[in-house]
Amino acid sequence: MNEEKIMNADQGRASRPPQKQVGSWRTWRWTLGNYLFILPFMILFSIFVIGPILYAFYMSMHEWKVLARQHPFIGLENYRQLLKDDIWWIALRNSLYFAFLTAAINTVFALFVAIGVSRPIRGRDFYRFIFYAPVVLSVSAMGIIMSWMMNTQFGVINYFLIWFGLPPVKWLADVYLVIPSLSIATVWWGFGFPMLLYIAGLQGIPEHLYEAARIDGANSWRLTWHITLPLMRPTIFFVAITQLIAHFQVFGQPLIMTNGGPGRASFTTIMYLYQTAWRFFRMGYGTTIAVALAFVILFFTLLQFRLFGRQSVVEY
Amino acid sequence: MQGVNRNRLSTWSSRILLQIALITLAVIVGFPLYWMLAVSITPPAEVFSWPLHFWPPHPSLENYIEVFTRQDLQLPRWFLNSLIVSVGATAVTLFLTSLTAYGFARLEFPGRDTLFIILLFAIMVPGQVTLIPVFLLVRKLGWLDSYNALIWPVAANVFGVFLLRQFFMGVPKDLEEAAVIDGAGRFRIYWQIILPLSKAALIALGIFVFLATWNDLFWPLIVLNRLEMRTLTVGLTVLQGTYTQERGLVIAGAVVASAPVLLLYAIFQRRIVQGVMLTGMGGR
Repeated sequence: MNEEKIMNADQGRASRPPQKQVGSWRTWRWTLGNYLFILPFMILFSIFVIGPILYAFYMSMHEWKVLARQHPFIGLENYRQLLKDDIWWIALRNSLYFAFLTAAINTVFALFVAIGVSRPIRGRDFYRFIFYAPVVLSVSAMGIIMSWMMNTQFGVINYFLIWFGLPPVKWLADVYLVIPSLSIATVWWGFGFPMLLYIAGLQGIPEHLYEAARIDGANSWRLTWHITLPLMRPTIFFVAITQLIAHFQVFGQPLIMTNGGPGRASFTTIMYLYQTAWRFFRMGYGTTIAVALAFVILFFTLLQFRLFGRQSVVEY
Repeated sequence: MQGVNRNRLSTWSSRILLQIALITLAVIVGFPLYWMLAVSITPPAEVFSWPLHFWPPHPSLENYIEVFTRQDLQLPRWFLNSLIVSVGATAVTLFLTSLTAYGFARLEFPGRDTLFIILLFAIMVPGQVTLIPVFLLVRKLGWLDSYNALIWPVAANVFGVFLLRQFFMGVPKDLEEAAVIDGAGRFRIYWQIILPLSKAALIALGIFVFLATWNDLFWPLIVLNRLEMRTLTVGLTVLQGTYTQERGLVIAGAVVASAPVLLLYAIFQRRIVQGVMLTGMGGR
């Protein structure tokens, strides 16, 4: 009687698992309790993540029009069609161009800014505050303001150019300039994020390395070149690849600022996915585009792992 | 002696150069925010005028009054929608991911490692792959044009589980063992020991989920159709495409949508900056 009471109390409260009694009811109940912690999330995960991933592959092999009753199996036909689809290749080229340009600028520019605001100078918290501020804006707010500033006729940027005696520029209306313009707008919007990643990396460099070099008479330029940059290499690689992946998935900026134009000059892969699935209601082909995108991104991710296989361990 | 002097002089001048560069950059980065405000208080008739004025000669709130009261837009309602969805998604995500992270970090059950590997696999697959299947599912559930569609799929945030698990594994076990001796159960340990000790990570994750939901465009754009169900971000995007002749109005809308997040940022600046450095989240 007494013993049973103690056992019950123990069962209800103690967080240590009961003594090993294989197959006993108490061990089972204990384990079931553990499952309860992960159960709600795993249900959501199955419904909204893993199930849809598998279903996407299934759908991409079917002709799947949204209102049709039947979704006939067509094997790899969607993929074959994608390879011959001119719009897909244009969109892919635009997305890659935008991604490489934006990632390159952000990776280099944010590093210099981070080194600048890591120096012990007056007002550096203020600078960090200002530089990260645009990151919190939504893409729609950012797109609205930047497209107005880049307007050919009434934009304030052209106003400045004319003020300095330069000719006005068709930022968003020129086939060759539209992607660089979107890229500049995106750098304004987002460079604060890699800047903070770099600042975190810079804080990890031990001060004594700089002191030793300073005693040897190195100036601050040489400190940056010979100590900071080599030690920051893993962070730089990380920023470059994650930026590339993030900006390859560009959607909001061209949708809001140019609607893919002029012509298809800023039409991106995600816009094509959106158009195919939610304007033309071709869900099967849309999923095929999504899967193809995933493989491009997966390629970048594997590249990242390869680079990090060598770079991830840093010894100071 | 001379060497030291020269060195000091060069640091002094290089500091001034650095200050000039940073001030210039701060002005450039801050200018669009200022310009957004300036255009929004320009009377509609003067928005399309040239030459530009850096401060509107006749400032007025006309655009704001328009944007709040026009019947064909429902800005106050969109604002409310964004708030409900962002707060809801943040609360659900924090609770479920932390519970799960605790399970994976501290509890033992058969299949734990396999399940974790499945999560790992899922995080490698970019989000676009699931868009269409999840959309079809949400439609089947009758969730189009509802808050459910914007909260539950967001709460399946695998990255949050990873982040918090990593963090929880760093919490020293001695504290829990003391609590076990005091008779605390699993849930109490999670709730009263692990969560309070992980405040920094939870707040960071919470802020980023909030901002991401508030600012998300693609997903709400496809699951919301009715005018009154739109979030601010979707509403603004549609405005931008439709009201091309009413720039002042659209830009005033952008100010209204940006004010809360900028305010949130100004208040939690330190936490957000630390959060980015701690988690690597919070950007693009």
